[in-house]
Amino acid sequence: MAAASSKQAERLDRRALGRALSRIANASVADALAGMRDSPNGARRIGITGPPGAGKSTLIGRLARQRLDNGAAVAVVAIDPSSPHTHGAILGDRIRMDAIADDPRLFIRSLASRGANDGLADNIADVLATLDGHPFDEVILETVGVGQAEYAVRSLTDTLVLVLVPESGDQIQAMKAGMLEMADIYVVNKADLPGAQKVASELKAVVKLRQRLAADWEPPVIMTGSPGTNDVATLNEAISRHLAFVQRTRNEDDVRRVRREYHLKSLLTRSVADILAKDPKGMDCSLREAFARVVESLKARQL
Amino acid sequence: MSNLKGKRILIAKPGLDGHDIGAKIIALALRDAGAEVIYTGLRKTPGFIARVAVDEDVDAVGLSLLSGSHKELVAETMQELRKLDAGDIPVFVGGTIPAVDRAELMDAGVMAIFTAEMRLDDVVAEVARALTPVQAA
Repeated sequence: MAAASSKQAERLDRRALGRALSRIANASVADALAGMRDSPNGARRIGITGPPGAGKSTLIGRLARQRLDNGAAVAVVAIDPSSPHTHGAILGDRIRMDAIADDPRLFIRSLASRGANDGLADNIADVLATLDGHPFDEVILETVGVGQAEYAVRSLTDTLVLVLVPESGDQIQAMKAGMLEMADIYVVNKADLPGAQKVASELKAVVKLRQRLAADWEPPVIMTGSPGTNDVATLNEAISRHLAFVQRTRNEDDVRRVRREYHLKSLLTRSVADILAKDPKGMDCSLREAFARVVESLKARQL
Repeated sequence: MSNLKGKRILIAKPGLDGHDIGAKIIALALRDAGAEVIYTGLRKTPGFIARVAVDEDVDAVGLSLLSGSHKELVAETMQELRKLDAGDIPVFVGGTIPAVDRAELMDAGVMAIFTAEMRLDDVVAEVARALTPVQAA
């Protein structure tokens, strides 16, 4: 079955899909709501997050190779930050995915985060829904890499991989309550650097603590990036195992609710940002009055 | 003030040419004018560049060439774009382009040609002008 859908991806109208994704990414809140549709049989989604410089893009390049070899047609959505001042962005993730970029079954799309400050991009939920309408078996979503507040990517993906590096040691303490609770798989990348083993041990200890809360999935800690090892194959296998686990155990209604809630929140956040941008004087009053004005403006937005 | 906000631009290095400081400087200048810039990295084939342009649905492709093969590589890249039904994506060229070759490149449909002696602001302004739809009368 996977092989059949790979064939379809080879016949993908890349021009049409490329344009459709631009339309969605540029859509206003009203347009996004008008064009919204549920996509019940979407692609499996793998989220890759972690601090900037952890090697996420390079790892995705190697991982996507394995997923393609598994027989899956794969889309990668890679997000890079926009400047809040100029709105400009350098979308550099795909340079790291060079080794696979010639494969016709692979589609890579780079997005700028634009107004989103949750590690993802404006309209990301709609972008993913659009990909669901195309013959991809899997979508790999790379976050900006803020390392925190990524409840967003947790909501939108089936399997979430957190990529850390040996220098992340001190971050682990700080992150205990954030990303560390959310990931399904932990990766210590650049494992040939000093300190990798220590970080892996610390991670395993944190994961053990978490295990007491949810005993059904034991998040593996995988070391990658050492030359001459089979490390990405181990990651590939862990992802497949987790995707199967998710399919077996989770309540699809819960997943849909969580994703709709994220979608709603992101549309509301953008609406509020639009309102504030259009009415710069709206803040020249007490906070209470400003809040009331924004609520009024929201109400006035007839759909 | 140049404004490229919301424009997506691919900066690409076709062929065998290992120097990309110019491409990177242009990428940063376009970014600072508000564009979302994708850079291919060194030594890409025209086919590869065209496919990235289509997947990323860019508003323009900038080819940086210092190898002397600009006539062939620009023509091939535009040919590959047409093959992918993307001949409408404008292509601009930068690098070591001798004056004698410019007319031929422009005749082939290149949007603009930029060389090292030009001011960055002028380059960005010209890209912005070319990508801003002219108001129809």
